[in-house]
Amino acid sequence: MLDNYLPILIFILVGILVGVGPLALGYLLGPRRPDQDKNAPYECGFEAFETARLKFDVRYYLVAILFILFDLEIAFLFPWAVVLDELGVFAFWAMVVFLGILVVGFFYEWKKGALEWE
Amino acid sequence: MGFEKFLFYLFALITLWAAGMVVSRRNPVHAVLFLVLAFVSSAALWILMEAEFLGIVLILVYVGAVMVLFLFVVMMLDVDIAALRAGFIDYLPLGLLIAGIMAIEIFLIVGPANFGLHAFPAPAPAGTDLNNTRELGLLLYTVYVYPVEIASVILLVAIIAAIRLTLRRRPDNKYVDPARQVRVKKGPDRIRLVKMASETPVPVVAPALEKESDE
Repeated sequence: MLDNYLPILIFILVGILVGVGPLALGYLLGPRRPDQDKNAPYECGFEAFETARLKFDVRYYLVAILFILFDLEIAFLFPWAVVLDELGVFAFWAMVVFLGILVVGFFYEWKKGALEWE
Repeated sequence: MGFEKFLFYLFALITLWAAGMVVSRRNPVHAVLFLVLAFVSSAALWILMEAEFLGIVLILVYVGAVMVLFLFVVMMLDVDIAALRAGFIDYLPLGLLIAGIMAIEIFLIVGPANFGLHAFPAPAPAGTDLNNTRELGLLLYTVYVYPVEIASVILLVAIIAAIRLTLRRRPDNKYVDPARQVRVKKGPDRIRLVKMASETPVPVVAPALEKESDE
């Protein structure tokens, strides 16, 4: 089975090479004369006004958490889709119940206005 | 087998190194990025153990979603690193002691005595045409249907909990509702003519004059 993954391993190695190679070449071959102004962070030419750590609205987390939950649901759908032909009606209704329970949650967040941004 | 063993040690080393960097980096964003590396290399370890689907899901769910959320949280928290690091040396002996005790406990429980090769011999490697996802689906939707439905209930609980905890309305927010906006018809919806009695001129009294002089 692992033989199937050899091309992927080679792909990863080539990917690392493509990603790291130019950086390494630039690091080795390019001239580097850093000074204080070059190393300073900048905002469109201004000096930095404040630190980048800002408190954001909690609704960003809400959107991200809801995304993760439905992302997890996808993990259950993949094996189901592969074996649906073999298992037939039973697996179909099992997934209908599964999705039905999650649709309750979906309606809840819809009606609660969790998907609205105002 | 030799090459597989080499790959195992390679990915195990990357995982351990990345995990060490997670707890030792000063910048929390760097720590989260190293955690991503640890997850990716443990996904490679799982694939080496022929748990392909779990390896892919680890990358899909953890690296794709959970770690992005982590990065999100870490980037938005204004953590005062200096305050967190204060007293690091004071707590170091106690921390090392507890870490050592935990390492010994972990070794005693999941070490070679209980989970060695004699207790769990390596299964015969599956052929190249075995479909891990299919095998998983065959088990999941026949033998383990009930746990799958319980999983969906847990997800439902998580949805409701996340909404209850983080959703808050601001009544002072003024915003345009596009649905009501497009429902406006020509005529009475746009302009409303109000009939009212004509105003009688207000009699000029002394305080009003005073006010004007103030301004």
